[in-house]
Amino acid sequence: MDTQWPRWEVFKQDTPSKPHQAVGSVHAADPQHALLTARNIFARRPQAVSMWVARADDIFSWTKEEIAEGQLKAESHEARGLQHPAKYLAFRKTSHKRSMTFVDYVGEVEATTPEEALRKAQATFTDAEALAWWLVPAARVFKSDPSPQTIESWFAPAKDKTYKQQQYYATIGAHVSKHKVGRGVEDEA
Amino acid sequence: MPVKYGVPSDPDYTERLAEFEARIKRGEKIEPGDWMPEEYRRQLIRMISQHAHSEVVGMLPEGAWITRAPTLKRKMILVAKVQDEAGHGQYLYHAAETLGVSREAMLDALLSGKAKYSSIFNYPTLTWADIGTIGWLVDGAAIKNQTMLAACSYGPYSRAMVRICAEETFHHKQGKEMVLLYAKGTPKQRQMAQDAINRWWWPALMMMGPHDKDSPNTEVLVRWGIKTKTNDQVRQEFINEHAPEILEAGLTLPDPDLRYDEQTGNWLHGPINWDEFWQVVGGNGPMNKERLEARRRAHAEGAWVREALEAYAAKQQKTAVAV
Amino acid sequence: MRPEVREALIAKLTALADDEVILAHRNSEWTGHGPILEEDIALANIVQDELGHATLWYGLRQALDGSDPDRLAFFRDAYEYRNCELVELPKGDWAFTMLRQFLFDLYETLWLEAAQHSTYQPLAEAVQKIMREERFHLQHTYAWVERLGLGTEESNRRLQQALDMQWGYAQQLFVPIPGEELLVAEGIVPDLAPIKARWLELATRHLQNSGLKLPINPGYQPTSRAGHTEHLWSILAEMQSTARWDAEAKVW
Ligand SMILES: [Fe+2]
Ligand SMILES: [Fe+2]
Ligand SMILES: [Fe+2]
Repeated sequence: MDTQWPRWEVFKQDTPSKPHQAVGSVHAADPQHALLTARNIFARRPQAVSMWVARADDIFSWTKEEIAEGQLKAESHEARGLQHPAKYLAFRKTSHKRSMTFVDYVGEVEATTPEEALRKAQATFTDAEALAWWLVPAARVFKSDPSPQTIESWFAPAKDKTYKQQQYYATIGAHVSKHKVGRGVEDEA
Repeated sequence: MPVKYGVPSDPDYTERLAEFEARIKRGEKIEPGDWMPEEYRRQLIRMISQHAHSEVVGMLPEGAWITRAPTLKRKMILVAKVQDEAGHGQYLYHAAETLGVSREAMLDALLSGKAKYSSIFNYPTLTWADIGTIGWLVDGAAIKNQTMLAACSYGPYSRAMVRICAEETFHHKQGKEMVLLYAKGTPKQRQMAQDAINRWWWPALMMMGPHDKDSPNTEVLVRWGIKTKTNDQVRQEFINEHAPEILEAGLTLPDPDLRYDEQTGNWLHGPINWDEFWQVVGGNGPMNKERLEARRRAHAEGAWVREALEAYAAKQQKTAVAV
Repeated sequence: MRPEVREALIAKLTALADDEVILAHRNSEWTGHGPILEEDIALANIVQDELGHATLWYGLRQALDGSDPDRLAFFRDAYEYRNCELVELPKGDWAFTMLRQFLFDLYETLWLEAAQHSTYQPLAEAVQKIMREERFHLQHTYAWVERLGLGTEESNRRLQQALDMQWGYAQQLFVPIPGEELLVAEGIVPDLAPIKARWLELATRHLQNSGLKLPINPGYQPTSRAGHTEHLWSILAEMQSTARWDAEAKVW
């Protein structure tokens, strides 16, 4: 038996003006636990103001290559009870640049199937070429509490943990180069 | 999504392989769902899961000193560092999971002794100075490797590495800070730092793996953009950075053949004891059994916890449906 | 500040810090050995936060009497430590650790909320910082108690066992230290009695909602913080071993 709990994709928003971005995943038992866990893992360092989680199984994904090959059919969505009109959150990746994050949130579409959601997303968000798409039923996305108190409690303390930042140790580079000036400095020690 | 893992017997294999290699040449990232050779997938799973296991097992030698850290600040730093290693394991398992292998399966491979992890963690941490030395040398060696892998062709692995590298720099610096401090400290601190450097230097050099001529996977890994440098290249970069800094701190290195080569600008090292390396890889290092046993125990003792949360989630779902 | 008030405040800050140091020590024993990777990371966050809180409390004491936080943590012995006994108990299983953390976090959060308006400005400021973290801890341990209590028969049984063991010890969190009434009278720290009433109400409700029974016989209830369990000596021996190993060492 798999005792590792289901996998949840985590979307982190760094500042209110930035989109939620896929940062990785956590294993957790239920939505609330997944959110708490996501905070513990992906907000160890600044910055964040909000987090979303969605079960990996609830995410429909396509790469540019798959779309080009016409592999549009999303697997087993009928079995997942997703044939009614519903809101989907659309996430998109647009660059091959080196990065810590995958797809970014671009907006919502309404559709009866994941494929339709993809088509609508492709038609709606046309400002950049998509290298990959994720469509997630909005009802399956769980969000951290947006109240200022929660944001303070969940995300602000990381800023004070300066000992996890490399800048905290900035002086040691200088220390070594001081030694580099002249050999024999060791003798003083 | 029908993921395609190509094998040479596929009718379109040659054509698709050419496209795939062209994509890598163009600097595109391969993403889950894209076509890839089964061999590419296999090599990635092997490397990423080994890497993940190394992070997780790597928590143990340093974790053992959390309760003995000498100041409140050092204790906080060490907890944060060991926690980061757990986080790295977690990011890496995620990257491997995108290739269709479950974390459970990877853990089974680790706990049954089938999977490998970095053999450096099969050495014991004997004194507090080992903590500084591991940060400086072991994380230093790991960073060299990881910086290279951040450029790798597989998207999820590359992203995990970018995130990990950003965190590792702190590990390296806090370790270096400690050793430099002790090198200038009391006679006992100095001696402790020197002893730790003596014990960790050679194992750190072994971390990059066998010499290129003895590393059969390297060629294909380089061609497919998984690795962008060879083991010996990475090892040389590590020595060039660390050897002079250690010497300048007034410490010595346990290699009588070590010398600076004006011509190449490289620090040349003496012969590495590969026999010791293969012994440790083969399970005969001082701590192999203990490390694995600690992981097994944690996994076994955690089973009822994982079951409890699954049971709770199942009950919640039932009530949700009933409402 | 009157000298006797100052003395009492120094003692109170020491007790607050010592609780955090010893609890962090116990929790840190889990690092690398948690039931799943994600929870290893979660508990390590709590440990860092607690060590941060201890540093803040010792820091406030330092401002009063110049004592060095690391000297206090690493060079006092079991006679001088002023933590409560609950935090000394061995970490036990995951249920034991999560329950203790829940009982402690709930106490700490309620205490901090009441201490927000302390007339002693440095304390009021520290409270603001610490409270943010404690709110999250409490959400986390609150969730764990519920899940273990309502999970499987085994998890419920283990959690119940932990509760039977800890309930009496937890009551010590609400025993004032000698001189605390002076601090309360000056509005420097809150009165523990109403905090205890609130704690009892909230803890009882959550524990019962999680399928647990409060022990009929609460068992041993320690009072004086000068007393300790048989574990403290060993905890300190281990914790202080590096710091005391080199008498000449000035910095670590
Ligand atoms: Fe790491
Ligand atoms: Fe590291
Ligand atoms: Fe605290």
